Amino acid sequence: MSHAWIVLEQLESIEAMSTSKKLITREEWEKKLRDVKIRKEDMNKLVMNFLVTEGYVEAAEKFRIESGTEPEINLATIADRMAVKKAVQSGNVQDAIEKVNDLNPEILDTNPHLYFHLQQQRLIELIRYGKVEEALEFAQEELAPRGEENQNFLEELERTVALLAFEDVKNCPFGELLDLSQRLKTASEVNAAILTSQNHEKDPKLPSLLKMLIWAQNQLDEKASYPRINDLSTAALEEPTI
Amino acid sequence: MPTKAASNRPEDLAARLGEVSGVAKGEALLKALREVKNQIIGNKTKKRRFLYLGAVPKIVSVLAAADSDGGDPAIIVQAVAAIGSFACGVEDGVRAVVEAGAVPHLIRILSYPNEKVIDAGARSLRMIFQSKLAPKYDILQNKNMVFLLSLLNSDNENATELAVRIIAHSCDNNDEQNALRDAGVLQRLAQLLEGSLNQRVASLGSIAAIIRNNREVAMTFASIENGKALSALTELIHDRYPRTRYLACMCLIAIGQLSSYACDLQTKTNLLLVLVELLEDSGEVGDDSPFALLDIITDNEELQLQAITINVLEKLCNYLEKSPIPLRRLEGILLALAEFCSKSETCRCQLISPQFLNIIVDALKNESTGVRIAACTCIRNISRSVKNLCAGRLSNERVIVPLVRLLNDTSNSVQEATLGAICNLAVDFTSQKSALVKYGGLPLLVQLSKSIVPMLRLKSLCALRNLMFIANRIGKENIISELTIPELASLICDSEHLVQEQAMALVSNLIHGCVDFIRLVFAEDGLIINAVIRQLKNDSATQVCIQGMLLLCNIAAGDESHKDAVLGYLMPSKTEGSNSLMIRFLQSKDQFLRTAAMWCVLNLTDPDSVNSPLRVRKLQEEGILFQIKTMVNDPWLDCKYRVRKVLEQCMVTQSTRCEAQVGCS
Repeated sequence: MSHAWIVLEQLESIEAMSTSKKLITREEWEKKLRDVKIRKEDMNKLVMNFLVTEGYVEAAEKFRIESGTEPEINLATIADRMAVKKAVQSGNVQDAIEKVNDLNPEILDTNPHLYFHLQQQRLIELIRYGKVEEALEFAQEELAPRGEENQNFLEELERTVALLAFEDVKNCPFGELLDLSQRLKTASEVNAAILTSQNHEKDPKLPSLLKMLIWAQNQLDEKASYPRINDLSTAALEEPTI
Repeated sequence: MPTKAASNRPEDLAARLGEVSGVAKGEALLKALREVKNQIIGNKTKKRRFLYLGAVPKIVSVLAAADSDGGDPAIIVQAVAAIGSFACGVEDGVRAVVEAGAVPHLIRILSYPNEKVIDAGARSLRMIFQSKLAPKYDILQNKNMVFLLSLLNSDNENATELAVRIIAHSCDNNDEQNALRDAGVLQRLAQLLEGSLNQRVASLGSIAAIIRNNREVAMTFASIENGKALSALTELIHDRYPRTRYLACMCLIAIGQLSSYACDLQTKTNLLLVLVELLEDSGEVGDDSPFALLDIITDNEELQLQAITINVLEKLCNYLEKSPIPLRRLEGILLALAEFCSKSETCRCQLISPQFLNIIVDALKNESTGVRIAACTCIRNISRSVKNLCAGRLSNERVIVPLVRLLNDTSNSVQEATLGAICNLAVDFTSQKSALVKYGGLPLLVQLSKSIVPMLRLKSLCALRNLMFIANRIGKENIISELTIPELASLICDSEHLVQEQAMALVSNLIHGCVDFIRLVFAEDGLIINAVIRQLKNDSATQVCIQGMLLLCNIAAGDESHKDAVLGYLMPSKTEGSNSLMIRFLQSKDQFLRTAAMWCVLNLTDPDSVNSPLRVRKLQEEGILFQIKTMVNDPWLDCKYRVRKVLEQCMVTQSTRCEAQVGCS
């Protein structure tokens, strides 16, 4: 009988321990934050890196003038890349392809996935503007061979071609392919490929920092209760929950 | 407005190219070239279509025209880009481009006064030189070397990378490697190790090509700037890209094998860890890394022990449990594990556990020849674990049946590898009837002993010899009746002396412990014994003579008639007039042959045998005892002790005879 009581008692005390997380008040937290030193130059570099990678040429130029931060690559080369990205975002895929090939003919030759997605986008644009006959011919001449060259493309190919079977394309099962977000996806892919070909990192550093922040907060959640940042866009400190 | 699609069909375009390609100028040509280029980039199907339409020679002729009269840079850029694209990823394209004579033109335009043209030319050439079909660039010609160096040291990244690729492609022999070293190329390549990803990868490939099998060049590289280049290379084994890490490992391994640098235990341990971690890569690098791992651990016991302590073996085993594993990768891992088991009992014991043994046994049935061979090698090495062998851990149906089945494999190499394993597994102490025989291995082994491939004859005989060693009476009878005496006799006279040796050893094992089997040696008109004596009389290899003498020794352990027969063979015949076999062997420089001969004499002069005194007298008469007396201080201990024992025995025999004589008179 007494043995059972002892066991229960031990269990209770363990539970008590696990609920007692350290509590850090807002004042304590803000004080600790103030003690951490961050350099302005580092932040400027992060901003410049973001602008350059995403391709905001004018903003990057202005930022360079106003902050004195040197971009890591020549701003002139960004202009070419931006022209390509814009072309895709506007649905002028053929134009985008020609521009990429002028910039660097190796990119599409060595990136089969990207090339396929560009061709796919072309087909989507033809369907969007109701050019059914042209779309059919294009699918046969240009997209079908991609499927033959590489089995991995077949599934996506089928989904795209299936659009041709529907009258009301916007509301059919694969209708999301017609969203503008699809164009942005393709544009992003092209952007990354061009950056890589120029020996530049294809992703900006800023997202990595934010991911690190979220991960660190999740880790800390297990040990302490503290003012969290829940909205990354405002970076506002929430009151710690007890 | 006419529909663009119609006039830009490949057939029409190709035709238009033909019309206007006489000169390198003109709006129409520019448009046509640009259109072709844009259609083929990224599109293998279109490339093949244009190839078929003969577009390549037409485009190359545009370049040729540009050579003579300058030409429009815009046109040249388009033509060059199109050519480069044809050479990208399509073997027929590279062939067409090279055969159309594009390469010399492309090299010429690298000196064109226009940066865009140079860039385009460098890119296209780089594409061509990535293929094995690219022409060889003769580095030993001075002007070529000068040009190559100018490219290598240029500010233009494309030109530099091109030069690096040409170097990797074109240095095949020591002269070329030395010429490149003398021109200072290694220093520049070392610099590029700290450049962009493409430069690092290309540079590593070139360094590997220049130092391949060339001690001096490897040492030169390692001593650049007091080892700075070597440090840069070593750092790259921790690069963020797997391909770079792998190529850096390969370079370091080569340097470690060729020079006294990078061969210390610490470096090799680091390489091991990186290579094992590269197994996680899903691409080609993951397939190649186990072979590199095998390379560094082969015959390096110290490193193998180190590997075990840092859990490399464990990681390899854990990786084995994933599925599916690409075939080449599986082959590499199994070969590496086999190498670990070649000397380490710890490894053998780990792999013999059912968890891993099952995977290895399953690999015996794999579709890939390489994997089957690797699995056999694994089992062969695991079976070197005497304690496990004796405990019969490998003599079960699960292991033996697939192995026996492989004796019929279509590939000779697989058969050979299987025989390697079976040879060891034949030494099975656990049951009366060997598992190999139980599961039908005997007829297959005998069949292989008749193979036209010498190695298969040799290894199957080896396995049969081992089976004979273990077998009881009935087992021995089975083996000999399957093999047959005439067959055995012909193997004793086989064209390969290694086979002769095994055949004789098999007979030795046959009669060992079974005196009444000695009759088989004399059976069928003495086929076997005649074969043995014939081999001993010919100028056979020493090892064969040793086995022959050991066999005669075993025969001489039989009854009186056997001993007399052996003595007869070893004495000189009246017709021959030459030295007896016995004298020849006793005087041999080979200590084992001398010893084998002494063992024989020992049996012939056994004091417990009735006719020994007669034989001793014969030995005396033929001067053999005299020869033996000179060997009283033989440098080989084994031999010396036999000599002394024989002389002792002979004295005893002599005195017995004397006593008998005294008794008589």
